[in-house]
Formats: sequence, C-alpha cells, structure tokens
Amino acid sequence: MTALSPSLSPPARRLPKPFSWPVLVAGLAIVAVEMTLGAQVSEYYLLLAYIILQYVVLSTGWNILGGYAGYVNFGTAGFFAVGCYTTIALEKLAAVPLPLAILAAGVVAGLIGLGTGYLTLRLRGVFFSIATLALAVVLQTLIVNWSFVGGSRGAYVMRPDAIAPFASYVQYLLVVMTVLAMVAVLAAIAIERSWIGMGLAAIRDDELAAEASGVPGLRLKLLATTLCGAFMGMAGAPFPYFITYVDPPSAFSLAIAVNAIAMPLIGGTATWWGPVLGAVLLGFTQQVLTVTISSAANLLIVGILLVVFVTVAPTGVVGITRAWRGRRA
Amino acid sequence: MEFTTRVSRRAVMAGMAAGFAASSIPAFGQSGQPPVRIGMGIALSGGLAAFGKSALLAMQIWAEDQNAKGGLLGRKVELVYYDDQSNPATVPGIYAKLIDVDKVDLVISGYATNQIVAAMPTVMQKKKVFLTLFGLAANDKFNYDRYFQMQPNGPDAQAEFSKGFLQTAMTMNPKPQTIALVGGDAEFPAIALAGARDNAKALGLKVVFDRTYPPNTIEFASVVRAMKATNPDIVFVASYPPDSAGMVRAVREVGLDTVKMFGGGMIGLQSAALKSQLGASLNGVVAYDLYAPESTMKFPGVEDFLVRYRKEADKQGVDPLGFYIAPLAYAELQILGQAVEATKSLDDAKLADYIKATAFKTIAGDIKFGKRGEWAEPRILWVQYQGVAGNDIAQFKEAGKQVILYPDTFKSGTLKYPFSAASK
Repeated sequence: MTALSPSLSPPARRLPKPFSWPVLVAGLAIVAVEMTLGAQVSEYYLLLAYIILQYVVLSTGWNILGGYAGYVNFGTAGFFAVGCYTTIALEKLAAVPLPLAILAAGVVAGLIGLGTGYLTLRLRGVFFSIATLALAVVLQTLIVNWSFVGGSRGAYVMRPDAIAPFASYVQYLLVVMTVLAMVAVLAAIAIERSWIGMGLAAIRDDELAAEASGVPGLRLKLLATTLCGAFMGMAGAPFPYFITYVDPPSAFSLAIAVNAIAMPLIGGTATWWGPVLGAVLLGFTQQVLTVTISSAANLLIVGILLVVFVTVAPTGVVGITRAWRGRRA
Repeated sequence: MEFTTRVSRRAVMAGMAAGFAASSIPAFGQSGQPPVRIGMGIALSGGLAAFGKSALLAMQIWAEDQNAKGGLLGRKVELVYYDDQSNPATVPGIYAKLIDVDKVDLVISGYATNQIVAAMPTVMQKKKVFLTLFGLAANDKFNYDRYFQMQPNGPDAQAEFSKGFLQTAMTMNPKPQTIALVGGDAEFPAIALAGARDNAKALGLKVVFDRTYPPNTIEFASVVRAMKATNPDIVFVASYPPDSAGMVRAVREVGLDTVKMFGGGMIGLQSAALKSQLGASLNGVVAYDLYAPESTMKFPGVEDFLVRYRKEADKQGVDPLGFYIAPLAYAELQILGQAVEATKSLDDAKLADYIKATAFKTIAGDIKFGKRGEWAEPRILWVQYQGVAGNDIAQFKEAGKQVILYPDTFKSGTLKYPFSAASK
C-alpha cells in the first residue's frame, strides 16, 4: 500500500508565477505607443486614455481589499483626495517632481489605509463599509478646514510646461499614469497568485475558518488596506495637474467613489483582469457618452448598466466568461 | 436660332414665389460655406444644470437671431456643446475634443468657476479667445490675456462683492455698529466673507459673529440662534442655493427682531425655483442680483429677449424667469458676434485685441472689459424684496418686487428697515 501511495497522490498543482511578464511587456508596449504617437494624435485621446487608466488604478486598488478580501470600501474618494492634496501640499512647499509626489501620496494614503485597517479590525461586512464612508467624511472635513492646501476655497495647481522628451505635459501625465496602472496590475497579479491572495480569498469566504486554519488574518487585512489605500492615493496624485483647480467637492467626488466600486463589479472581482476590463469598458463608455448623447441620459445609461450587471451577472464579465468556457468544456 | 417660349401666368407667379423664397434664405444658405462653430461644455445634468440649461437656452436664442440676420461672416452659426455633468473632471477632455477633433472656430465656457478653470490649460495652449460665464476670479492665477468674464464683479471681486451691501447698510439712521458674518465652508462664501470682513473693518463696524458651517448643512436654526444671541445690527450671509433657502426659513422660524438689515451673497435667490418656494418669506431680505425688472434696467432688447426666453423656457422646463444668467449668456455671444463682425475674422488674436479695446452694447447693458478680463466697472446689484405676496412666480416679473438699492446708477427704490418691519 505504501509503495502505491505516491502514484495515488494528486499531481502537484502548478500555480502561475506571481510575476507576469506578459503584463509588463504589454504595459511597456503601451508606453512606447504613447511616446511615439503622443505628439501626433489629438490631446483629447490622451486625456481620454488618462481618465480610463486612472480608473484602472483605482479599481485595481479597490479590488485588492474589496474583491480579494471581500471588504467593501466606500471611502475611495477619501483616499483619492489624500493623493490629490499630498501633491498640492508638496507643490506649495517646493517644486517636487510628479513621480516623487506620487510616491509620497502612496505613502501617506497607504499609512491612512493601514490606520483604517487597524482601527476597524473588529468590523466586518456593512459595518466596515460604513467606517470607510465615515473616514472619507472625516478627511473631507479636515481638508475643508486646512487653509494651507486651499481649504474650502480650493487650490490652483498650474500645469507646468512640457518636459523633454514629451511633446506636452498631458502626454507626460498619460505616460506616468500608464506606468502607475502597470505597477498596480502587476501588484494585483502578484497578490492574487501568491499565498497572500489565497489567504485573502480564505478570509473573504469565511474569516473565522480561515484564522482557525492558520491564515494570518490580521496581517493580511492590514496589508490589503494599506495597498488599497496606497494605490488609490497614487491615482489621485497627478489629478491636480489634470484639472488645475482642486476644491473639496472635486477631490471627494461621488463619481470617483461610485466608479471605483462599479468597475470591479462589472468586470468581475475574482481576478486581476476583472477590474481592468471593468475600468476600460465603463470608463470608455462614460467618456464616449459624454461627447455623444451628452445629456442627463448618459448617467442613466451607466446606472442601468450597473443595475443589469449587479442583478443579472453579479460575478461580472469574468463570471460570464468562465460560465461560457465551462459550457464549452 | 430663335427660341420662343410661352409662359403662363401661373408659371410667372410660381417663378416669382420661388424668387422671393430664394431671396429670403439667409446668405449662408446659398454660399455653401461651412458654419461658424462655437463650442462649449455646459452643465445639463448634475447640481449646476438649472443655470447651465438657462444659459444654453439664451445662447440658442442668440444663434437663432444671428442666423436670421445672415449668420457671422455670411456663414451660419452653429453651437456645439457637451454636457459636463457639473463635473470639472470631464471638462479638459471636452475642450480638447471641441478644439482638436470637432475643430470648432471659437470656444466659450460653461457655468461656472470650477469648469472654467478646468478648461483653461487646454484653451490657453491653443491660444483661443475665451469668453466665460460666471467665473469668480478664475483668471487671477492664469493671467491669460485672451480671457473675458461675464459676471460683473469688477477687477477685485473679493473686495467689490460685499461693498454695495455694506454701503447700503451705512445709509440707515442711526448707522449700524455691529455685523454678523456667516457662510458655508466653500469657495464662493469664503471669498465673499473675506471681502465682507475687510469692508466692515474699513467702515468701522464691529464683527460680533463670524462663523462658517460645513457643506451640506440642512438645519440652520441653530446657526441663526447663535447669531441672534450676539445681537448684531446687520447680518451678511454668503451661501449656495440649498443653504440660502435654509437660512431664510431659519430666520423666519427664529425671528431676528433686533436686526436692522439681513441678507448678503445668497446664491439661488435669483432663480425662479427659490423665489417661488420662499415667496413672501423673502420680504425685507437684501440680496445680490445681476438683473431685476426695474425701470432703471430697461436695456435695449432685454425685455423682448425675456419674452422669447420665457416662452421657450416654459416648454423646456428651464428657469421660467431668466433674470440671473440668461441675459448675460446672450450678451456673451453678442460680444463675440460683434467682435467677429467688426474684425471680419475668426482669428483669436484679432478678436482678443478688439474685445479688450471695445465697449459693447448688449441686452445686459454696456460692457467693457478691464484687468484680467473682468468687467472694467463692477455692477453687482443689491436688491431688497418688497411687497411679495404668496408664492406666485408671475409677480416677480413686475417692477417693485426686487427694488434696486445699489449701485446708484440703477437705484429704483429705498431700503426699508428694520428687518422686522421690512418683512411685512
């Protein structure tokens, strides 16, 4: 019997590697295209791509906590605004290069994410979500009363001149956001394919059972809240240069909070490519509707799309694709 | 070779009719030239939509009028607009598309400051002339020399805004000694209150209450009670539309028996919606406005415009009075149109030079631009609601309900005080 046991044991499961070379190559290829074509195409397309990529970073960040760990974060706008205001604060202190401002925003928003995770350890489900919503309100109140960054009057951030080798500052913003999106997606893949992702999935399915099985719930949740906050903050860091005037209602926009949840839900929260697909689909649709239907009806269409996906396809495009593949197999 | 034709009387009549019809078609109909396209992003949904729709309707009436006169440079005028959803984040993309993809000839702004500022980098990069609608000191940081703003704040908006209110207050006998300042934690109230503080100090008024309340506040009775406890002679409020309504209601609930004059920069009171909601509660309130149907403000063309505006506004469900933004939106395009016709050009540099140097006759009065593209002479009106009965909106179309107290050029009545007496 003992001699037979090796042949009866299941073959070792081949896990995909945590680092995705194809995503890196694809990201670098997109950067190369942006560098080549950036000066030739209309700025409109660059701005459109920027918005979509901003949502890729936001929804990927949201999915680390909301999708992998199952902790729904309603405070996206708060973390995004922390990124915005970190850039504004640094800009007022010294002429800090944008990549450095993004890193600083990642650190600040990450630390706030860590703090949130620590303070909300005992909260689960809807109670955790309410706590994140409250965090956004607290952050907005702080910003409204912090005159150094403009307070309730808002702050102007002049868009600098083009930086060589970029033809315009908008092209530079786009390339920076592409790199950021690539980093966020690579991080999400690494988490998903490592023991961290499995641990988070176990927490999502049954937190008590996961901890009883030896999953370090506390550490993993803190890691997820930190990374989630950091990526959302980094997505917000270039925003002041995009919009040139930031006031609390713009930075703490409801549209940002809603989109960051809607995009992963439409794409699918189980995998890294669900939020990316959701961001591209919904972001592109919103941008196209803005300049085609261009009325209140475009908001209605997005709303209907959301309701349809949540009710008919709660697992998003990822779920539909998997079901279709399953039927074919 | 000889051609002979027999023409019937019917054919002659038909020919004449066709001839008349052809001659009545504006010149652009026959020229085959592309239209002059004027592009903008404007709020047609979201929080700013009420004012955005009103402005757009006024602009459409202008385009209709201009096309009836033969368009601009013999070409039809076409407005190209996109809904910015009251979200400044959509604005950079919209203006990039208007200029780069739609290839519009001219651009103007939507409503209001945040949208204008978000469009500025794109507009400046393309060196376009930029006429803007209701930007509060939006060009102070950019200092763009092709920027022209339609709200009559004057070169120093912060100082100018509350000046009329306080100067009117100082006409009371005895002169007021104390003032309460209250407003929302937002951009416009912050600027208005800062100016009011400086102006009050300059006039020797003692500030006995100086507070702000958080955005989205819905209950104002506690704010009014705290303010009342300081016993101010005059009260200056700086608020956005929902707060303005809340503040007026709270004042009526709590009562300000000892206050001599109440009002301020209360945005929203200019709209038909709040006028109708608040009705007689507005009596005695001294509020800022941009147009009032008083005999002193009968600029050529404005009454005819308002009649046509209201007819269309009723159908579209847009602000049915059209006092606040509509005349200035129409005037904005009058200025642009007059500049194009005078320079016979769509060249942005020529248009900017002409607009800088010219005093324009519009349905909103004479307009001349000064420093940073603001009006050379400020024209913020301070009106007092008097004799309002019930909530019927039609009464606000008549003179005497919004009596102009300041500036003297447009003064149409006298201040009633104290506030409790004026409220009756």
